[in-house]
Formats: sequence, structure tokens, C-alpha cells
Amino acid sequence: MRAFASGSLRGAPPEPFDDLALALARFQAAHVPALGRLVRARGIDLATARDASVIPALPCDVFRLARIAAHAPDEDTLVFRTSGTSQGKEARGEHPFRTTATYELVALRWGERMLWPDRQDLGVLVLAPSVEEVADSSLGFMLDLFAHELGGPVSFHVRGGVLDIEGAARATAEARAAGKPALVLGASFAFVHLLDGAGARDLTLPPGSRVMQTGGFKGRSREVEPNELRRAIAALFGVPEAHVVGEYGMTELSSQLYEGTLAAALGAFSPSRHGVYVPPPWMRVTAVDPATLAPRAPGETGILRFVDLANVDSSVAIQTSDLGRVTDEGIELFGRAPGATPRGCSLAIDEVLSRGSS
Amino acid sequence: MSAEAEARARVLRVIAAGRRIQDPNDPLGAEARARLPAVTGLDPKGVELALSAHLETHPTDVELDTLLTRTGRAPRCHVVLAANVCTAPLRALALAAATSPDVVVRPSRRDPVVTDLLVRALSADEAFVRTHHASLTRAASITPAPGDELHVYGSDASIEAVTRGLPAGISVRGHGTGLGLAVVGENAALDDAAEALAWDVVPFDQRGCLSPRFVLVEGRASRAEAFVQALDAALSRAAARVPRGPLDPALAADIALYGATMEAVGLFLARPSHAVGFDPSPRALVLPPAARVVHVVALAPCDVPRLLAPWAPFVTAVGSSNDGALVRAVLERAPFARCSSIGEMQRPPLDGPVDLRSSRA
Repeated sequence: MRAFASGSLRGAPPEPFDDLALALARFQAAHVPALGRLVRARGIDLATARDASVIPALPCDVFRLARIAAHAPDEDTLVFRTSGTSQGKEARGEHPFRTTATYELVALRWGERMLWPDRQDLGVLVLAPSVEEVADSSLGFMLDLFAHELGGPVSFHVRGGVLDIEGAARATAEARAAGKPALVLGASFAFVHLLDGAGARDLTLPPGSRVMQTGGFKGRSREVEPNELRRAIAALFGVPEAHVVGEYGMTELSSQLYEGTLAAALGAFSPSRHGVYVPPPWMRVTAVDPATLAPRAPGETGILRFVDLANVDSSVAIQTSDLGRVTDEGIELFGRAPGATPRGCSLAIDEVLSRGSS
Repeated sequence: MSAEAEARARVLRVIAAGRRIQDPNDPLGAEARARLPAVTGLDPKGVELALSAHLETHPTDVELDTLLTRTGRAPRCHVVLAANVCTAPLRALALAAATSPDVVVRPSRRDPVVTDLLVRALSADEAFVRTHHASLTRAASITPAPGDELHVYGSDASIEAVTRGLPAGISVRGHGTGLGLAVVGENAALDDAAEALAWDVVPFDQRGCLSPRFVLVEGRASRAEAFVQALDAALSRAAARVPRGPLDPALAADIALYGATMEAVGLFLARPSHAVGFDPSPRALVLPPAARVVHVVALAPCDVPRLLAPWAPFVTAVGSSNDGALVRAVLERAPFARCSSIGEMQRPPLDGPVDLRSSRA
């Protein structure tokens, strides 16, 4: 798979996407019991299949109900877990890794393409806890990876769940003094807290700086409309709006999607706009009919199904309940599909989800 | 007549109004049957089942005594109803009438039918209005004053929205959403338990807070799987008598994703009228969509604390086949749940609120 990732970025994948996806699916169906059950329940013959669209997609929820790994637990080198839910720590989804080599390769190469295609000597300000504090967070792992990949000074500004605004202000002042551009990474709610608490502090960064924000608000800050938040972040750090990029990822996936505005502004990508997320060439995204899970035509809205070739030892196809639309530009995301309207006093699924932050 | 006797008399008039709605030959009963299928989404036979078997119109004296002890007293009682199960307004208004002779009700916008019919019946009821000097008024909004009682039904978020900013001195009782679960003990006859449970699932198409969503089967996975098969067959038989109402697209989508999840975890039996999911070795409970979809797990009593902890605050009803170790473990975690035999979960006595948990307000 690593050869596929490297080759596909050069425009020369060593084998067709579908062949590799199906090879992974066959391997996983044989070694991951939940996938084997799903394939049998659907009556799918992976041995003769030629198209990755037939691979049954594993709903994200299954990661908290069963072990999704083709290897034994004693071979785990790292387990990423979903953030806390209303259903307690025991019910957190788990994504075990036998090796993180593939994860690291694809995260760095796609990060490089979409976030730092022009230079690597960026400082890094992280508005999230360090990986030492959140050892099982895939986001924490990825941010740490980026921080160490880039050449500049690195600082983390969330400790014990508290945003250190003074520390962030000092880091931006140092960047200004050194004239060294920086990459700011963080969760959307952390940016909201920074905006709310920054006051008159100067947090501007040198030209060439950029920002990556990810995730929703999850009840951890006030909700801010995406365009408004992006404008405010751009103004706070003194960067063009195109340099504020959204990321989409989840614990159950190994690859990430980014808005392409920064890469386009730097001449490394075709013109792009905010709200459209670009998957790497080793990922295929399809909108499916929520009621039948059958693929919808390009341009139609459905819930998103991901075939992520970097999910080598877990499940190559993942079914989310996130609504979106797939076009030639990329993926438009519309948030989680709303559940059924409650028509009685029975507890609604949405009510349970709204209490947690998975 | 004492205040207590007046309160009881008012409650009895509310129940009498309910009997008119229950009666298909009464104009109010006929109107209910004509309007409710479209409003509730239940099949007409589901509406008939709700009105004929699940409208609480024959309480015992002891049940009424208990109801009166569970209600407060206030000069005026305001009731804000949500789109609960269609029969819920009867109990809600009985509780309000026990609380005060002056009741103001804001019906559910989506399902005002039974409330409207009760208002009409009681407005025309000489005994209610003249003998007991009571009134039941329909209002588009409520403006409680200090000293009044306010009964709010709906999700916790809805209750919070209604009660936010109220003046001090108003006694608020919030009746939130919840769920039922059933326990099949180790000595239970599986076919009998499945047959009885089907008739807890079918009423209101499982939308009530007493409707079982989870079934915990004591013992080995193979025994639980046998129960799944028996329940699937029982639900098919029940659907032949009372079909499920049509599914809206969002509900169909919820079922599709739940089904795919259960196919991976254990077993999913999907039928046109219902579905049953089975997790043989549960790490966590999955809430199935409320549309005659039942989530069955195999469980030992020692696993109850871990599995039930996140759900315990929502459990409003527990049905069981016996008083064995598994149900005792469940009730330790959910002490305020209404308990009944399987098959009786949707027939709570009219002895107070359906939801016996502390007020959600």
C-alpha cells in the first residue's frame, strides 16, 4: 500500500485502485471476524469481485462493539480511540494498529501536498494537547507527526484541557520576531476559545503562515458558522482566508481530507474553494442512499462511504453517517445525517448522541 | 367535599372523557380513529390497538389513591405536551386535574388530537364544569404564575427550553424521554417470552418510553439466539394482526445503518414489519431505531453494571419473565423503572406519571 501511496502521488500507482482495495478486503474478511460476518450476511463473493464498490462498508459504530483488526491484540503497537461518548469510556471506538508506518506515510505525504507544498521550514503552533497527554487520539498523533516533520519551533498550547492563550501569544510574537512563518493546527472549538479570549493581543503571524482547523464544536465551545469562523481566524493570525484550511478525518480512517484552497493559492493544486474537501488518491469517497446504502450518482447527496487503502489491518471500507456530496471538485460535507424525528416519548438516537461527543 | 375528594372526582371525569374516546361508537371515538392514523403515522389497526387496549380508563381505587399521593396541589396547573404516544394526554390531564381544578394545556403541535378531544369532552361535561367547578382550557402558549404547577413533557432539551426564564415560585415537573428494556431470565420459556414481548413492542410502533428497545437474555449466546428467532417469528405474527405504520426516510436510514452494524457484530433479521438485531458478546448496547426494532444481547448478571451504566438514567420500564439474578441486577441500576411482566410493559396502572424517575426539569 505504501508503494501505491507514493506512486499515486507521482501519478503512477503500481496497480489499479480496485485491485488493491479488493485484495485488502479479502484479507480483512478472512482475518477480521466482523468483516467476515458482514460479507457473508450480504452474500458477497469477494473472490470474483472486480470493483471496490462491492466491498461492504463497516459502519463506524462497529469499532466500539467489536475488535476491528486483522492481527492479535498482543501485536498492537498503538490503539486510537474515539473521544468520550455519552456511553462511557468502555464504549469508545477502537482502531488498533500493528504498525503506524502506513498511517504516518499517508498522513505526511497528503499533509505535505495540501498544507506545506511550498516549504518545510515552518514553525508549528498546536491548539490541542500534545500526544503525551492524549496518547490514544488519532488527531493528537497526526498533529505531533506534523510538528516533528516540519523544521521550525513547535509549541503546544492546550494543557489539562485548558487553552494557554498567553503561550500562544508568545509563540506568535517569537514567530514575528524571527520572521518565520508558522502552521497553526487545532480543533475548531479551540480556535473559538482563542478568538473569545484573545482580546487585544497581537496574534498575527509572518507572511506565508497558514492554519489547519478540524472537527466540530462537540459542545466544547459556542457554535460558530464556518465562514464566520474562517474569516475570524484569518483576521486573528493575519493570513489570507485561503490559507485557513479545514481537515476532515476520523479515528476509523487512516487518511485525511483537506480543503484545497491553500494548495491552490500556492500553485500546487487546481483551483479550489472552501467547503470542498479533497481526498488523497488512495481514498475513494461515495455518497450512498441512507436507506439502501446503494451508491448514488455523482453530485447527489447521501451518507459518505470511504474506501481508504491505508486501513490495511482494519476495514478498507467505512460507512459513516455524515451527509455529503461527491463532485469533480471533491467532497462537500453537510454534517451528520439527522436521525428520524421522534414521534413519541421513546428515547431518540439523536438525543443520546447529543449528550456525548464521539 | 374535601379537596382530596374533589381532586379524585375531577380525575374520574377525565377518565370518563377518555372512555368516550375509547368508544368507537362515540362521535369523539370515531373522530379519534379518523384523525390519528395520519397524525401519528400508525396503521389504523395500530390506532385501534392504542385506543382500545392502552388508554387507561379503568383504574382501581388503589391506583387512584396512589395517583393522588403522587401529585401536588396548586391553584392552576399548566401542561405542555409533546408528541408522545397518542394516548398520553389522558394520563397527563388526569395528573393535572388531580393537581388543580384549573388546568391549561398546550397540546403537541404535531399531535393535538386526543388533547383536543379531551378538552371538548370535558368542556361539555356538566359534572366536571358545574359540580366540581373545574376547567380545562386549550392554549397556544402558557404563562404560569408563582404558586402554579407546570407539567412539561418532551425531551430533556425541550423541557429545558420551556422552563428557561420562568419566574420563581413555579413548581415544575418535567417528564422526559426514556426507554424500556426486557429481561429474559434463565428459566424463562423462550417462545412464551417472545410471544408476550412482541405485544410490548407492537403498541405505538415502539415509540413509547415504556416500549422495550433492548432485550437482555440470561445465559449463553446460543440461548439468546434462539430467543431472537422466536421473537422474529412472534413479531411477524403480531404484524399480521397489527401492521407497522409506514416508515419515513430518516427512520429507514436509521434502520439500514443499525442493520449493517448488527450484521457485522452478530445477526440482523430484517422483515417488512420489524427487525431484530443480536449481539452475542456485547461490549456496549446499541440503541435501535424506535420502529419495532429490537436489540437482543446475551448477558450474565455480572455484566449488567458495565453494560447498563450509560443507559440507566433513561430506563423507564423493565419487563421481566421472573425475578431472577439478571433482573435484580438491572433494577439495582434502574431503581425508578416501572416493573412488570413481559407482555404488560405497555399497560402501566394509572397510579401517577408513566415515568417514575425524578423530575427532568
